[in-house]
Amino acid sequence: MSVSESFEPTETTDESRPLRERVADNPGPARFWLLGTAVLIALEFGRYIGWVYQLVGAVKYVIGLVGLIPSWIGDSVGEATVPIVSYFVSDTITLVLLFGIAVLVTRFTSWSAVDQFDIGLSDRIVRFLERAVVTAILATLAVLLAFTPVGGLVNGTIDGVFNTLSSIPTLTSHEVISNQGHRTPGGGWDGTFLGLSPAVAWGLRTLLVYTYALTVIVWSWKGYTIFRDHYRQADWTPRDDTLRRFRSHYWGLFGLIVVLMFIVTALWAPAVSPTTADQNIASPYEYEIEYLNDDGEVATVTPGAANLGSISTNQNTVGPMSYDDYDRWAPLGTTPSGQNLLTHIAYGAQTSLVIGLLAIGLGGLIAVTMSMLTAYYKGIVDILTVLTSDTIISIPAFLLVMMLSVIFGDHPLAEPLNGGLLLGLIFAFVYWPGMWRTIRGPSLQVAEEEWVDAARSYGQTPANTMRKHMAPYIAGYIMIYGSLLLGGIIISTAALSFLGLGIEGSTPEWGRLISDGRQLVSTPSWHVATIPGLMIVLVVTGFNALGDGLRDAIDPEADTGGADDTGTAAAGGGG
Amino acid sequence: MSHELSQEPIATETDVPTDSDGDVMIEVEGLKTYYEDGGLLGGTPVKAVDGVSFDIHRGETLGLVGESGCGKTTLGRTLLQLEDATDGEVRFDGVDITTLEGDDLHEWRRNAQMVFQDPESSLNDRMTIGEIVREPLDVHEWETPQARRQRVKELLDTVGLQREHYYRYPHQFSGGQRQRISIARTLALEPDFVVLDEPVSALDVSVQAEIINLLEDLQDEFGLTYLFIAHDLSVVHHLCDRVAVMYLGNVMEIGPTEELFTEPSNPYTHALLSAIPEPDPTVERDRITLHGTPPNPRYPPAGCPFSTRCPARIRPAEYRDLDDELWNRLNTLRELLSERQRADRSVRDRLRAAVGKDTRFGTVEETYDELFGDLEVPARVQSVLDEIATLARDHNESEAIAVFNEAFGSVCDDEPPAYHDMSDGGHQSYCHRHTDEYRSPDAVIENRHG
Repeated sequence: MSVSESFEPTETTDESRPLRERVADNPGPARFWLLGTAVLIALEFGRYIGWVYQLVGAVKYVIGLVGLIPSWIGDSVGEATVPIVSYFVSDTITLVLLFGIAVLVTRFTSWSAVDQFDIGLSDRIVRFLERAVVTAILATLAVLLAFTPVGGLVNGTIDGVFNTLSSIPTLTSHEVISNQGHRTPGGGWDGTFLGLSPAVAWGLRTLLVYTYALTVIVWSWKGYTIFRDHYRQADWTPRDDTLRRFRSHYWGLFGLIVVLMFIVTALWAPAVSPTTADQNIASPYEYEIEYLNDDGEVATVTPGAANLGSISTNQNTVGPMSYDDYDRWAPLGTTPSGQNLLTHIAYGAQTSLVIGLLAIGLGGLIAVTMSMLTAYYKGIVDILTVLTSDTIISIPAFLLVMMLSVIFGDHPLAEPLNGGLLLGLIFAFVYWPGMWRTIRGPSLQVAEEEWVDAARSYGQTPANTMRKHMAPYIAGYIMIYGSLLLGGIIISTAALSFLGLGIEGSTPEWGRLISDGRQLVSTPSWHVATIPGLMIVLVVTGFNALGDGLRDAIDPEADTGGADDTGTAAAGGGG
Repeated sequence: MSHELSQEPIATETDVPTDSDGDVMIEVEGLKTYYEDGGLLGGTPVKAVDGVSFDIHRGETLGLVGESGCGKTTLGRTLLQLEDATDGEVRFDGVDITTLEGDDLHEWRRNAQMVFQDPESSLNDRMTIGEIVREPLDVHEWETPQARRQRVKELLDTVGLQREHYYRYPHQFSGGQRQRISIARTLALEPDFVVLDEPVSALDVSVQAEIINLLEDLQDEFGLTYLFIAHDLSVVHHLCDRVAVMYLGNVMEIGPTEELFTEPSNPYTHALLSAIPEPDPTVERDRITLHGTPPNPRYPPAGCPFSTRCPARIRPAEYRDLDDELWNRLNTLRELLSERQRADRSVRDRLRAAVGKDTRFGTVEETYDELFGDLEVPARVQSVLDEIATLARDHNESEAIAVFNEAFGSVCDDEPPAYHDMSDGGHQSYCHRHTDEYRSPDAVIENRHG
């Protein structure tokens, strides 16, 4: 295993040195890798900034929503009692929220007043005072941002900077490799990249997207190997084994590839689709495109009007790999409303990703947290959770989803993604009891293990005990169940869209394509329902395969013997 | 075995071991640990540890023996505050640890650690050996991370493993090696006091000896104090300086190992020791067979906890000549009566009884037939039995028990005994027979079973 183990003194000196010094000793490989990384980032800089901007927007949205909580509660209380009470209530809740943030802030920063000052008070009181001070600072900041021009100024600056930076053209943007142009009477193409046909230009750009993504992944792996070979102190760590196990897990690798392609498609949706969703779907009458009409003249038309002329129904069809009458390239054909199917698929991947990951992530988080708490503390916490989950489970899941999406239809939560965010939250709420149930048995089992008692005997905190000694045994189950459920959520989203309760309007969604193209499967426009259907199958299978591979990889007992298949299956959580 | 027996005499009275000697490390006084039912309505708790008092001296090994379910493990866990004590005190160097909370408790936990019974379950399989042994150090933020890693490797060395095992996983080790890892983790924080909860009972016999020797060496090296919980008496004989014998949540006898093994005082210890297999097949030895099972710890007997099964139970003078077998049957009858008293009779049972059908308790006649059918019962006993039968038939069990106690009961059933000093070495026994008015347990057992 480790050769350097026998040279005790060298090892000790090595271990005490931080990464920065180790890099300084041998900067070559690190410099090489960082240079490559810089080039890769520079190529797509504008897009990355765009993502960050979206993230900032999401954070702002969440802050805005949380900021509304005190006044909602305050107003309700005020209406029920005396109006003046509402101010006290909302102020109190604001302070409580800020104190919660202060607790998080103090927990995740290494600086602590306890270590710095010795006032003669107990640690507990000092910690409380420290948090109170942070709360006061946060409150001042909040007041400053909300009630003075400072807030608007800060907001404007942020928006300005991000807008400027994100408009920088990138390698894969439509401006650089354009596939939007028209035929010329002479037989060539005008307006496209190097005068190539839109099909070739689009193919080039799409190829570039996936090549770029692949390069990023390979480069990250390269970075890891450089770190491992040149800078890591230990010759071997458990992580190596995890990676080794995953690398030889071909089913898991297949899943990883599918999932990565799905994510890349979602992230680079504007580049992968021949046209943007805004131009093709959201506001098609605010743009103009040129095309060569039947009279051999170049004419202009709005995409909205063009869409009406290129619909895929049982009579007309713009099939996969063809142009419509307006010189627009449709790699996967068009929808029954004439929009580009690939645009729908690519942007729909975003929608599915957000809903699925939000639902599984949030629901799984609730399920794991509750299962840890109920298994560790039992008693009243357990009884209350059982009651809550039974209540939720007793209502048919789909009915509950429908009911909630109707109730919250006008809520501010329903705005993002035409209700996609709301749907994700609803699915999380509806499905966590199921997830909790599936991992409840294993959690109770692992809570009875003696190592949990052992952890308590040397004073490990309950939170850490749950995280280190219980959660890893649950991870396998939640991954498998989560990946299975992800398919169910994509399908439920589709079913809701079919009933007119899910995502409507301008947000593309795979399920809606299937319900739109259902009757067309036996017609020349078979592609409308078939292609998204196959995509769902592929993505769901991919997530399942990835979950399977991850589970086997994180379980050190999984590779005791190659032939021990039953052991692998059982080791998922039994321990 | 070669350890010196250097105890101070424990205080003479049962519940006042207020020994202020510097040698005493842990003073347990009137400790009770009851398990409440999970239900919201309370109910009768299980009395796992029911009023235990003893001292543990610095540097000694105190053995704690008893049959399964007698509360030994619960006692060990309560000493480490893994269970909340219901009542009583555990003074660790003078500080009552049952009242410690928060930071104080966290800090105290450094001093006392536990080695668990099952090495398969006491090590988290998802962590490397290094992480496992290091965790106590991390929890208590012991020096720097580098120093911790160094210390873990030294600890692995100390318990007879290799430093390279730092990055291995528990499933790559055998039971004995896993127990060594567990011991290394226990030692990480340099505790003063270690509870060994049957540390070798899950291991092969050959490996047991290695672990026992390791524990002895570590005790010498680090000056540890052990509480050794076991049911293997030969291991206890070998390892411990003093032994406490537990039965149904009570310490029945405590004393220096050698003395206790050669001259047991308490009837329960007699019975327990007679169960040790004798390697020499030619030795004639009478085993004292205990009848029945230990009582339900939820409803322990009112008097001496061992009274229901005691081979030396005090019998009333007028029935002293009765056959031993008949006494066993009478004891069984008593148990049945108290069981019937506790059982809730459902509406269905009452209805069935009213229309003369069988209830799940069976009729008194059946019970009597089963118990006394094949025995010759003297007339004076029979008359009492008839009286009891009449009462029991009317489901007046409490009255029936009163009649039974009136006739066949003795001080054993009525009053808890006191601890009596057996020698100067702190040898104490919990039995009524040590008072002057009764014959000693040894003599009685010799008489009845010899």
